[in-house]
Amino acid sequence: MSSFTAEDRAAMADSVRRLLADLCTEADIRRAMESEAGYDAALWTALVDLGVAGLVIDPAHDGLGGGPVELEAIMEEVGAALLPAPLFAVTMAAALIAACGDAAASDRLLPGLARGRIATVALTGEAGTWTPDGVALAAHAHGERWFLDGTASYVLHGAAADLVLAVARIEGGFGIFEVAPDAPGLAVERLQSFDRTLRLAKMDFRHVPATRLGQAGWEAVEAMLRLALVALAGEQAGGARRVLEMTVQYAKTRIQFGRAIGSFQAIKHMAADLLLESESATSAARAAAEALASGAPDAAEAVHLAAFACADAYAKTAADAIQMHGGIAFTWAHPAHLYLRRARADLHLLGAPAYHRERFLQAMGA
Amino acid sequence: MTVTAVKPMSDDELRAEVRAFLEEHWKGLPHRSDQWTVGPEQRAWQAKVVDARWAVNRWPVEWYGRGLADRQAKIVEAEFAAVRAPGAGQDRTHLYAITAFNFGTETMKAALLRGMLTGDINMCLLYSEPGAGSDLAGVRTKAEPDGGDYVVTGQKVWTSGAMTADYGMLIARTDWDVPKHNGISFFFLPMKQPGVEVRPLRQVTDEAHFNEVFIDGARVAGDFMLGGLNNGWRVLQTALAYERSVMGDAARGPRRGGDRATMVDLAREAGRLADPVTRQHLAQVIAWRRLNALNNARAKADLKLGTSSSVMSLGKLAMSRILHEEARFRTMLLGAQSLLEGEANPRADDANFLSLNAYFTSIGGGTDQIQRNIIGERVLGLPKEPEIDRTIPFRDVRAG
Repeated sequence: MSSFTAEDRAAMADSVRRLLADLCTEADIRRAMESEAGYDAALWTALVDLGVAGLVIDPAHDGLGGGPVELEAIMEEVGAALLPAPLFAVTMAAALIAACGDAAASDRLLPGLARGRIATVALTGEAGTWTPDGVALAAHAHGERWFLDGTASYVLHGAAADLVLAVARIEGGFGIFEVAPDAPGLAVERLQSFDRTLRLAKMDFRHVPATRLGQAGWEAVEAMLRLALVALAGEQAGGARRVLEMTVQYAKTRIQFGRAIGSFQAIKHMAADLLLESESATSAARAAAEALASGAPDAAEAVHLAAFACADAYAKTAADAIQMHGGIAFTWAHPAHLYLRRARADLHLLGAPAYHRERFLQAMGA
Repeated sequence: MTVTAVKPMSDDELRAEVRAFLEEHWKGLPHRSDQWTVGPEQRAWQAKVVDARWAVNRWPVEWYGRGLADRQAKIVEAEFAAVRAPGAGQDRTHLYAITAFNFGTETMKAALLRGMLTGDINMCLLYSEPGAGSDLAGVRTKAEPDGGDYVVTGQKVWTSGAMTADYGMLIARTDWDVPKHNGISFFFLPMKQPGVEVRPLRQVTDEAHFNEVFIDGARVAGDFMLGGLNNGWRVLQTALAYERSVMGDAARGPRRGGDRATMVDLAREAGRLADPVTRQHLAQVIAWRRLNALNNARAKADLKLGTSSSVMSLGKLAMSRILHEEARFRTMLLGAQSLLEGEANPRADDANFLSLNAYFTSIGGGTDQIQRNIIGERVLGLPKEPEIDRTIPFRDVRAG
């Protein structure tokens, strides 16, 4: 449990909101997405200074000691602002390291992450599913030393990361491994992503030396994924609300046939339906964060519910937003497509909605 | 009315007095299945409650009350609730009495209020018409002055409790030469008279919970007009607001066997729980209900914090989708069985009934389309659609 009070949480979210309003304008986003790194170093430093990179890292490792509720709240701001940054990748890496229960590794790695070192998780292969059978890396031990072979794909900020946490098959299960990006035998290729604010990489491993973190296996991956899904749900809820807000604002000012287009029921009814979607997404994301934070027995249900509900809500809201804007949103210069690209990326970043619907039923015991 | 004041009491004194009253008089009531009228035992009990001034504590002493502040009135209501005695708090819950109290003439209040509070006078609503559903301000039932009375002619619909009602809250047109909202008056129409004919209305579900009311030259005294001539729209808005605050979600569940069966149970029973396509639908219908519950919980929490919540207004729209989609899912599970109905086919009967009864929520109390207008305009702040009939004399408004 985090030691954040409601006031701490509100203050934190407010600081992030103000920072993003200043340094993550549409022009900043467009500049970042055209850049090689995909993010603005000054903005990342500012976020690190606020403590956001170490939000879920324990204070003993220089983090803020926040939990799922704090992370979800910040991610709503991140989603609303379309922040291009390695925050999500670093948060996943930090959660995975912590879940491994390897005290020495935590001491060695987590403080760096809290201070802004770029880390990422390499898990799925070409299949792109975040499931045991999606893993296409295998680890072999030679005495005390481990070597990785295979492929990891859809690795967030894989080209910029200077710490990679790889999940690989071992005999009888899975292990989590620390890999240096310049390790011999590791080839990193940047993938061209539909969401231009994302940075994805494919990594080919040929006998790459790696260090195993503790004795952790798939259960550590699951723990990391639950937190990552809550974060993603928060981003989706925040993004859905913002893109709807933007669309409603436009419908109030765009005049056709002598009337604001928002006075037409054809537009008004779409907006009302999207409000239901985006508010339901918000409720689901926050409920999942609370369930995970309190260790509720139905936390897995809540997380998978949020995973598909928020993904679908954001995708629908962003898609309809373009339709409701009309021609103006068919231009590159209009920001609506940036939201649609993010929403569509988020649909598959950590497993498709259909997969999470299935997991939701399984978590219910059905 | 002889009493002019009730002596102020401390909370403890008040609590003691109401407890003593309940202890002495409250003996419980026999079970009753008729939902439209109040049984003789309950009427006798409520008469005691009214005469002891526990029914409408916030109202002044001239009108059966004690002039209590809301806080103290709630003490009385809590004591009644603790022993499950009805009759208290009617100044919050009795839609008809509240409307009469706020807008009625002294003559009407003296004639009807006590009977309404004791349950001796039964009421119904005469708002909707075949030609005025979503557009309630378009009512064409007319009320014409005749001596001190009004003579009413027209047709009302969707009236529950009309068979047993003594009076109906009626909106009728009293001026055809002004815009539609400005020519409506609000009456308490006596129902038990020759010009009023009530016919049960057979619904799409093959049930009859509502009636049509045909009014032909029925009379109502001028004193039974509320809020003054041509001020009926304002009275109606207030009455509708009370109604919304009192009525919860009225959606019904299955009427046959499967009241307790969850969607998962139904899928399992149909042998479809392992089918991946069914499972996707199943997860989605469960999710819609869960999400609505989460929205409601968030709205409640927001309300407690004193922040207004846009989530509140979404419940009805959400519930429409839930009910229609659950019924669709039930039907899909049944396959050809959904061709059947009746007691011998309880699952099919439920699915078919629910698929039709879902419209009770998506049409009743304002259609989903009207609800979307309300959300768009009041929550999102989108501009209203221009209303071409808003400023012209009602006589010239197109009907059909």
